[in-house]
This record gives sequence, C-alpha cells and structure tokens, in this order.
Amino acid sequence: MATVARKKRSKLTAYNNWGYFFVAPFVIVFLIFSVYPVLRTLYLSFTDLKIIGDANWIGFKNYQRVVTDKFFWKALLNTIRIWGVNIVLQLGLAFLLMMVFSDVKYKIRGLKVFRIIYYLPNLIAATSIAFLFNTLLDWRYGTFNIMISEIYKLFGATYNPVDWLGSPNTAGYTIAVIQSWMWFGNSFLMLMAGVQGVSRDYFEAASIDGAGRWTIFGRITLPLIKPIMMYVAITSLIGGLQMFDLPFLMSAASSASYSSVQTVMMYLYKFGFTTGSTQVGYASAVAYMLFLIIFTVSLIQLKLFNRKED
Amino acid sequence: MWNKCMKALLYFFLILLAAMCLFPFLMMMVNATRSGAEIVTGFTLIPSTHTADNWHTVFEYFNLFVGMRNSILVAIPATLLSAYFSSMTAYGLAFYKFKGNKVIFMAILIFMMIPGQLSLIGFYQLCSKLHLINSYIPLIIPAIAAPGTVFFLRQYILSSLSPSLVEAARIDGASELYTFHRLVIPIISPAVATMGIMGFIGNWNNYLLPMILINKNEKMTLPVMMATLRSSTDINANQGAIYLAVAISIIPILVVFCFFSKYIISSVSAGAVKE
Amino acid sequence: MKAKKLIATLLASTMVLSLAACGSGEGAGTSNAGSTESGKADATNEGAAATSDETLVIWTLADDLKDFAERYTEQTGVKTEVVVIAPEDYPTKVQTAIVGGETEPDVIVGEPQMLGDMFSYGAFANLDDFGAQDYADQIVDYVWEVGKDEEGIQRAISYQITPAGIYYRRDIAQEVFGTEDPEEIGKLFADYPTILETAETLKAAGYRIFASDSEINYFSGDSAWVIDGKLNVDQGRLDYMDLVVELYQRDLTAYAAQWATPWYQAMAGEVPILSAELQWGNWDDADGDGNPDLNIWDADNFNENVANFSDEMTEVFAFGLPAWGVLTMRDHVGDTSGKWGVCPGPAYGFGGGTFLGISSQSKRQDMAWDFIKFVTLNEETADWWIEFSEGDTVSLKSVLEKHKDDTNPVYGDQKMYAMWLELAEGIDYSKVTQYDKAIGDAWGQAISSIKTGEMSKEDAINTFYDTVQSTYPDLIIER
Repeated sequence: MATVARKKRSKLTAYNNWGYFFVAPFVIVFLIFSVYPVLRTLYLSFTDLKIIGDANWIGFKNYQRVVTDKFFWKALLNTIRIWGVNIVLQLGLAFLLMMVFSDVKYKIRGLKVFRIIYYLPNLIAATSIAFLFNTLLDWRYGTFNIMISEIYKLFGATYNPVDWLGSPNTAGYTIAVIQSWMWFGNSFLMLMAGVQGVSRDYFEAASIDGAGRWTIFGRITLPLIKPIMMYVAITSLIGGLQMFDLPFLMSAASSASYSSVQTVMMYLYKFGFTTGSTQVGYASAVAYMLFLIIFTVSLIQLKLFNRKED
Repeated sequence: MWNKCMKALLYFFLILLAAMCLFPFLMMMVNATRSGAEIVTGFTLIPSTHTADNWHTVFEYFNLFVGMRNSILVAIPATLLSAYFSSMTAYGLAFYKFKGNKVIFMAILIFMMIPGQLSLIGFYQLCSKLHLINSYIPLIIPAIAAPGTVFFLRQYILSSLSPSLVEAARIDGASELYTFHRLVIPIISPAVATMGIMGFIGNWNNYLLPMILINKNEKMTLPVMMATLRSSTDINANQGAIYLAVAISIIPILVVFCFFSKYIISSVSAGAVKE
Repeated sequence: MKAKKLIATLLASTMVLSLAACGSGEGAGTSNAGSTESGKADATNEGAAATSDETLVIWTLADDLKDFAERYTEQTGVKTEVVVIAPEDYPTKVQTAIVGGETEPDVIVGEPQMLGDMFSYGAFANLDDFGAQDYADQIVDYVWEVGKDEEGIQRAISYQITPAGIYYRRDIAQEVFGTEDPEEIGKLFADYPTILETAETLKAAGYRIFASDSEINYFSGDSAWVIDGKLNVDQGRLDYMDLVVELYQRDLTAYAAQWATPWYQAMAGEVPILSAELQWGNWDDADGDGNPDLNIWDADNFNENVANFSDEMTEVFAFGLPAWGVLTMRDHVGDTSGKWGVCPGPAYGFGGGTFLGISSQSKRQDMAWDFIKFVTLNEETADWWIEFSEGDTVSLKSVLEKHKDDTNPVYGDQKMYAMWLELAEGIDYSKVTQYDKAIGDAWGQAISSIKTGEMSKEDAINTFYDTVQSTYPDLIIER
C-alpha cells in the first residue's frame, strides 16, 4: 500500500519536473533581456547620473524630487483622466459588442466581417494614426473641421471651429477617444476569444433547461470569461498608465495643450531621452515611481476580482 | 415585431461602428491619390490622379519594399517564437507543480507592469556588449520571453483545459511533449492565434527598439524607414506621399490578419474542447 | 590578394591627387598661414586611406550630407554610408550609440542647441588634435565659436552659415508699400510695433503678413536663457511674447503651423481661409460690450460681417527663416518664383546649421577628419555646393567673398551672399545654451496659453517658472 502511494507520488513528481523543461527557455531569455536591464535601471535611480560619466550614489534624493514635483502629479492626473475616458468607451463598447454577438436570442450574424473591421484601427502603427489625426483635426485646415462646418452650413448655422488638439479643454478627451477607437476592437476580440472558449454544450444544455438569455449570460457566460475580463482590465490599466505614443505624437511641446496631455511616460521621456534635459538617474526614479503606482493599483484590482469570485 | 426592430437597431449600430472604423482608412486611400495642395484645400472622397507622383516621391527616397522584407524577417520569427514558447511556458506554469512556479508567475505579473522604455539604455548596453547592434537577434530572441502573452495563455488554459484530459492522456501513455503538441496546443489555439496576431502587429509596428538598434539603411524595418521618410522635406510638403507610404505599409498586415482570423474561426468551429 | 593591393594603391593615389587639388585650392585662397600644418595632417590621412578599404559611416538628420558624401566618394574613392535619421529620434539615437560605446558612426552631426548636450557626454573627438585651429581664420567667426566646447576645444565645424532673414514677396510689397527694395522693406520689420503696423496694413489690403505666428522666433531674445546658472528672461523675450499674442488675437496671420503643409503651401501663393472661420478671427469690438461684434448664431449679423470679406483665399507676405530657408523656398515657391526678396529682420538671429564632428568612439578618426575637411574646409567643395544647392550658404569666408555678386533668380536676382555674410557677422553665438530646447518649449507653452486666452499672462509666466524649476532643479530662478 505504502509503496504504491510512494510510487504514485514519485511518478507525479516526475511529471511535475517536466515543468522546468517547459519554462526553461522563457526563464533564460527573461533573465538576460528583461531582468538585467531593469535591475540596472533600479541601480541608476539611486544615482545622479545625467548622461554619461560617474554615477554617484545619492540615496533617495531622486525619489524625494519626484514626490515633491507637482508636474509629476499633474502628469499622473492627466494620464488617469485620459485613460479613464478611454477605458469607459473602449471596454464598454467591447463588452456591449460581446453581448450582442453572444446573444442566444437575436443570433446576430456577420461576426467574421465585423470583427475584422473593428480590429482594423489597431493594425496601424501609432505613428501613422497620430499623423492621420493630426492632419484631420487641424484647427484651420483640417478635413474634420471643414466637414463639420459644411454640415452646419446645411442647417444654416455657423460652426465655431474647435481646436481639438490645441486647446487644453479638448486635447485630452480627443486623444482618449482616438485611443479607444484604436483599442476597442482589440478588447472585443479578447472577450470573444473568451466566449468562444466556452463550450457550446453549456449553452445548449442551459437552453434546453429553459434558462432565459439573461440567466445564461449572468450564470454561464460571465463567470466563464472572467479570467479573460480580468486580463483585459489589468493590461488596459497597465497599458493606460504607460500611455505614451498617441499623446506624445499628437502634442507639441510648445503648445498650450501640452501641460494637459503630458502623461507620466512623457514626463519620463523628457528626462530620459530629451536633449538638453536628460537626467538618467532622475528618469529611472520616475520610472520606478510609475511602476510602484501601477503595482499598487494592480494589487487592488486583483484583490477585488478574487473577492467577487468567493 | 419588437424583436425585429431591436435586431434592425442592433445591425444599424454595428454598421455605424464599422463605418467609423473604416472612414479614416478610406480617407487615407483617397488622399494617397491626391497631391499635397489638394488635400489642404478641401475634403473629398473622389480619388485624384497624383498617385504616380506620390509614388515617385516616396520611392525616390527609399525602397519601401526592402523595409517590408526586413520587417517580415523580424516579425515572423519573433511571432512564431513568442507563440510557441509562450504556450509552452503558460502550460508549464498552469499544469505543473514545481519549485519556483509561483516566483516565475509573480515575476511575470511584475514585469507586465514595468514601463518598457525604462530598460532601454540597459538593453542597448547589453546588446552592444554582446555585439548585437545592427543584428535582428535582439529584436527576435527576446520574443521568447513575453510576460503578457504568457499571462494571457495561462489564464486561458486554466479556464478552458480540463486537468482530466491531460490525466487521461498520461494514462494512455502519451509523453508530456506529445500531450502538449497534440492536445494542449489545439485546444488553446484560438487564444494563441489572438496573441499571435497581436504579437505580429506589435512586432510589425515596433518602432523604438529597431530605431535604436538598427543603423544600416539596408537593414531598416518599415516603421523606421517611414520615420526617416518623414524627415525628408520633399515628402513633408506633400502629404499625399505620406498617405501613400502609410497605405503601402499596412497592406501586408491586412493580408496576414485576414488569414489569421479565418484560422481562429475554423479552429473554434472544430470545437477542440469536445475531444 | 593582388587585386586587393592594386585597389588599395589606386585608392591611395586618387586620394593623394584629390588632396593635392584641395591643397592648391587652399593656396589660392586668402590664408596661407596654416598651409604647412595642413600639409602634415594630409600626410597622416594618406596613411589612413591606404590601409583601409572600409566604409566611412556618417549619421545626420537631413538629406544634404548625402550629396556631399557622393561627391566625396567620387573624388577620393573612399566608400561612405550616410544614415539619415528622423530629427526627433536623432539625439536619442546618437546618445545611446555613443554612451553604449558603439564604434559605428564615424562622423556625427549636431545642431547648435544639441551641441551643449553632446559635448557634455563626450560625443565628439577633439578636432584640435587634428590641427583644426589652423583653419580658424577661414571660417565665419560665429560658426567657429559655436563648435567649441566650454573649455574652448574645437569639437565640430559647420559648412554653412545660418543667419536669419525675412523672405518677402516683392509683388505684394510693390502693391501695398510701393517699393520692393530690401532696405526699405527691412524698415517695415525694424521692431515689433512696426511689424504689427505692417501686419495691419497688409490685412487691410487682403493679405496676411505671416503664415504662422512663429516667424519672428529666430530673431527673439537679447541674451541667453541661462547665464551663470541663473534663468534669464530678458525684456526681448517678453516683447516677443506680446508680439505673438497680438499677431494671433488680431487675426494677422494665416494660422498655419510652421513646417505643416499649409505653411509650405503659402510659399506658392494662395492659401484658403475657411469661410465659416473668418469671422471667428474678427476680434473687433466697436460697441465695447466686451464681446466681438460678430455673433455667429445671429444670421443677419453674420452675413453683414462676412460681407466684409470678399475672398476666401489670402496670400502670405513674408516668412522668417535662416539662410537655409533658400532651399526650402527653392522647393516650394512654385509659380511665385522670382517674386521673392530677402531683407534683415528686427534683430540678428540664426537657426540650425549642421555641425560635423568626429565620433569619440570612432576607430577611423583620421578618415573622418578628412571627410569633415572635405565638407567644411575645402573651397572647391564650397563652390560646388553653392552651385549644386542653388543658393545655400557656406561658412568659408573666402568663398562667400568670391560669390558676393552671385544673383539668385528666385529672389528677383537679388545678390544674397553679401547680405548673409553681413547678417552673420552680427550674430551673438553666446545666446545658445543646452537649456534652449526645454526652456524654449516652456516659453512657447506660456505664449500659446496666453494667446488662446487659456491663461492670464501672470499665471502663464508663473507656470513657466515652475516648469523650468522642475526640469532643472539646480538653476537659480529669481521671479
């Protein structure tokens, strides 16, 4: 009896040792190309390194400076505002679409086509998107404002052109809308992958049992795609707090709207890579501050998700 | 009746959304045929006749097809490596209990939160030390360790792969690798395809790293080439040329996407989970 | 093996021949003080060329060095590769390469505002080691000085001078002001109040003075942003701020952004003004009720006001650009070619300029120096460039002197080089600091906030101080 148990356990251990084999390539590459550069940055964040030369250890001075710099907090606020508007639109739309397409009653068709179309904006490099919209949204010469004014004219009214990207009141929201335009298809695709991972049997069984579609949605669809939802939510927040490409490419450093769209990553870029203001040590500290914030937020989010599951 | 109205309304909403997604691309295509002067003066959806001029402006400066070839040389290996090794890692983390499993998973969670640009200088110094500047290796090999993809696939495996399937395979005497290749991969293929598409697009559009690592003109990837294109005043003054360049640059990715989306649908309808 | 040797010998001999050609050019020039010294430097270069059949790698941020490199290869047989990098990526890229110890770019370039930074991380090799000072007298002074680091060591040299001037339309000048003489037109841009007056006159005639409101930027500021570690906001900066706000709020420009397509287009003639937007720029308030007279929601009022504008198109009178603007103009004036003129602006100013130096990490520094000499210090190259570029400037005094009677057809056969040289002599290079980009951006932000009415002048300037303090904690700031 005992030998059988031992045998079984040792066989299980033997199976489990395969785990090392499966993760080994990942771990090796990960240590070299991810861990090393990041640890080096951690070291730099405690030094006064500007660009090159001797890096002197200065303790927490850089961190003190970040915490007391009101422009850092302003940048964080900007990031959260842009992300907030973006996520409501992006996830809301993706979720709605997921509901529409997985609905057992209406049986909406054309998922194949719609899915491709919705995902289209996400295919294009942010540099191109930014260029496209910079041109379209130009205050005086942009196609967008010309179009709106034509529409106003039809109704005999006059359009007071909005400087979408130049005015501090609108720039943040404009970027948020473009950002969600780019990403909602992506979120939708992820949610759909989740729904399609759910076996048809569940639905059919539930239907036969006479469950209504809201019951099916609430009891089967939702819980089963929860891991995917969690993933989408977390990556979106993490991605959102690191937002850089669009706001960076769609604002000019000398424009009035700049201080309202400068994100934390842009703030980091200013000190990490911009000629004239490069302070690598300080930029590293900013990066780690950002990391701490993202880390905290993610922990809270994980906790929230786990509690609901219980 | 109510149902029909509702359904029509839903379709209307879906089509409107689709139009919103397509419109800028339509504008891009149309503008690619117009001259810079025409674009600024007004808005139209009627193509003009300056495609050849724009083409000339772009290709006089750079051969975009070389950039395209380079991008393919980077993006395809990187995507395949990432898809295969991420599945492997995710399966390893999800189905095997071994020392360090939790540590690796925590590390993955943490690294998903680290801003990418943060490690740039360290990464560059590393590549320089290893003599990998102007090589595609630092653009391809790190794809093996993609924390985000691993995390997603691990979640997916937990939610869609039942342990009893794997146990059944073991009882049948299948080797672990056989189980992984023949059982696990087919089941998680929709998720792998999704991540594969995103990985490919990410690699195709990747700009910052190739910009810093590749210095040889003949080795530049498409986005780097496009950025260089923008520093030419000839092209800056002619938006039509830029629109054309952007249009050319997205065609391959459209083709790939169509191919992969078909793959997702067929693998889903095959009902891998039922086996 | 034999073939290789043969090629090396051939390369070496072409090298010697071309150098001899350069040498004779120099001899014919004004200065012969450095001829023996430079002869020595040449000798070392022969050795370098003979031992290597490698490619010289040049990193730059504009196309122009490609042409120089092509010619260099033609004449010397030395292979070159010019890598053009987008301007916004260039500083990052050079920085990471040099800091990472890359030996790949042999020749790197920098614009004046980048140089301070590049000096501080040791991007450039010491050109004095190669005998650069022998050429000190041959290059226009300010160019020579800008290329020196804080300790006075020569690090970079530019082949061009970049004094800023006002490019204006002769035909419009004739129509509105009754003269097209550069000297007379220069008076219309003599100071900021005069510029505003000129702008109003032009607007009344249906034109706009500038396409963007940033055209005077090159001339603004009397002194450096930072002097002895202290932030310095002089009266000139404040006056410039007021000027931009006035230009914008009084609807005196065409509201194009510099370097955007409409801005280029304004060079070629008419640019559109959106009809619906016309009145928005109408800031007149005759009845003094604090609101503009135009009410866009009131149809009658609207029509009445719009009737004042007979035309939906306008033409732009002038651009403020450095001497290399000649090239920009060359490519974009289109049908207005020949109708242009250039006159001095309200102050001496300059902008940009490609400064070449040797990468401190390069393993082929002798070859690199030879290339730099070819581009910047060779009269024959300078002659060729003036002709080839159709009117760009060079920095060699002797060549500028030689071409002072050259006329340029784009500018109604105006003689350009004498004026550029004169304008270059007034340039105060000490105004350039490594802080210029960040502080200039913050100042631009303040101006932009004021002109659009987002902030009061006081708030905007205070925010400016805060931004600068946050970016450079070590600077002393007296408010």
